[in-house]
Amino acid sequence: MNGPLISKSLRDHRGVTFWWTVGISAFMALYLAVYGSIKESPEVYGPAMIAKFPGPLRDLMGGLADMTSGAGYLQTAVYQLFVPMLFIACATLLANRSLAGPEENGTLELVLTLPVDRRRLVLARLAALALGLLAVAAVTLLVAWGMSVVVDNGVAFGHILAGHLGVLLLGLFHGTVALAVGAATGRRLVASAVVGVWVVAGYMVVTVGRSWDAISWLKWVSPFHYYAEGRPLYEGVPVGDYLVLAGATVVLALTAVLAFDRRDVGV
Amino acid sequence: MTAVVQAEGLTKYYGSRRGLADLTMEIQPGEVFGYLGPNGAGKTTTIRLLLDVIRPTSGLVRVLGGSPREPAVRARIGYLPGDLVLESRDRALDYLRFLGRVRGGVPSSRIESLADRFDADLSVPMRKLSKGNRQKIGLIQAFMHEPEFVILDEPTMGLDPLVQHEFLALVREVRASGRTVLMSSHVLAEVESVSDRVGIVRGGRLVAVENVAALREKAVRRVELHFAAPVPRADFEGLPGVRDLRVEGAALACTIDGRPDALIKAAARHTVVHLVSAEPDLEEIFLTYYSDEEPPR
Ligand SMILES: Nc1ncnc2c1ncn2[C@@H]1O[C@H](COP(=O)(O)OP(=O)(O)OP(=O)(O)O)[C@@H](O)[C@H]1O
Ligand SMILES: [Mg+2]
Repeated sequence: MNGPLISKSLRDHRGVTFWWTVGISAFMALYLAVYGSIKESPEVYGPAMIAKFPGPLRDLMGGLADMTSGAGYLQTAVYQLFVPMLFIACATLLANRSLAGPEENGTLELVLTLPVDRRRLVLARLAALALGLLAVAAVTLLVAWGMSVVVDNGVAFGHILAGHLGVLLLGLFHGTVALAVGAATGRRLVASAVVGVWVVAGYMVVTVGRSWDAISWLKWVSPFHYYAEGRPLYEGVPVGDYLVLAGATVVLALTAVLAFDRRDVGV
Repeated sequence: MTAVVQAEGLTKYYGSRRGLADLTMEIQPGEVFGYLGPNGAGKTTTIRLLLDVIRPTSGLVRVLGGSPREPAVRARIGYLPGDLVLESRDRALDYLRFLGRVRGGVPSSRIESLADRFDADLSVPMRKLSKGNRQKIGLIQAFMHEPEFVILDEPTMGLDPLVQHEFLALVREVRASGRTVLMSSHVLAEVESVSDRVGIVRGGRLVAVENVAALREKAVRRVELHFAAPVPRADFEGLPGVRDLRVEGAALACTIDGRPDALIKAAARHTVVHLVSAEPDLEEIFLTYYSDEEPPR
């Protein structure tokens, strides 16, 4: 009985997934297109220019160690900050449209009275969220790879895939956070706020805060640590780290199921 | 026979706000139960408890012999929410088909015939539907899988008289097929013609459950009789159930409590040329439940 629920959610998501795919693809295509000119004139974008950036800003962008190599540019312009953030925003939006949104606007009540176990309903919504995000990731992966070939940045498909998989996992993790908080509270605002705080804090800890001993240990609860630390664009899939992200997502999913199962809905 | 609804001490608090207190009642198979009460009485709270949308603070509720938590129990229920929201860009027909699929399949012929009955246009995107047309979609989805038990929270809200009439006819058909209906309303007049029993809830408490036929029998009605010749007042004085008697020449007016039998027999001794009897105003008796007592604290 989950089939109709999942396909209905996918239908409901199709506008969001389509437009975010278009947006993220356009973003990546634009930034990668610029790489052509950077490759032509490395002296302009080399260490001298980067040294002009204030230190904290360099940290925030992941160090800006090399902007002129293919992998370095792809990492900085695409996979360091912007694309992960876009994925997280997209995932949070989809998650909010899965439970908390319908609860707030009142459409969830009728669905709850259908002969579907509440736990299965949450799982169906999660599955639709994951599939929607997977669709966005699949298309944007092709764009990232295609543009890399066009500008000839020399990054192997396997490494782009590794980075992209990390972005997908980051999106899924935060989408599941939003879904779990939404399932527990029924409030989109609370769900978005929790994701927002966790994302900003998590990102700061692994960038600006990494050399600051008082907070650097917090990296263990930062999803970005498990995404970026293994340098997937250079080294390929960091299996252990990605498994931690995936495992945490599963735990959150179970939390969402249990939280929703015991709640009064719509009060 | 197991009761369709069995509630024992059913209580729901929203934080410290009382939604429903200590509801004990049963609804039997095959009856149409009207659930009446003013705004904020606890009707929607009761109904949401019956469908496991919210969970009781204390007390027990069984529906169709099981817990409403079980999907198998909910499969046998049709439900129209009190504030039905249909927000999507999808056409109503697509939404009904989706609900049907989740319910394990509903023939489209049944959806179409219900849509015909209610004169509902299923090709319109749902967010563009008017209030009454939205309500029609809600009714169609509540009835389309031919559930054993139909729960309707203020079903007639927003319906025009023609559709209301069709709706009441549908409720009668459901009862005739031995199935059970619970419907809430603010006014007795809306449910009186189809209900077997009515429950009256106020301030979160069930204050009365009445048989509609009995209520009707208790009802006060005004009667006027016109005779061929003046009649003596003494012939009608002291008749059981006759009150406010006025006799003026050949005309008699009074109110009757319950059965008009004694009055008819007394009148039969004269030549009656004209008789007027107003419909009993159940609403009036009913309202005494609202106004007699202070809402319990
Ligand atoms: N989500 C909620 N949070 C707090 N109090 C609530 C909530 N829902 C209902 N109540 C309270 O519970 C009581 C019963 O409300 P309920 O909605 O059951 O009334 P009702 O009989 O359906 O009224 P109406 O005819 O206006 O639909 C009211 O006092 C209401 O304020
Ligand atoms: Mg109500």
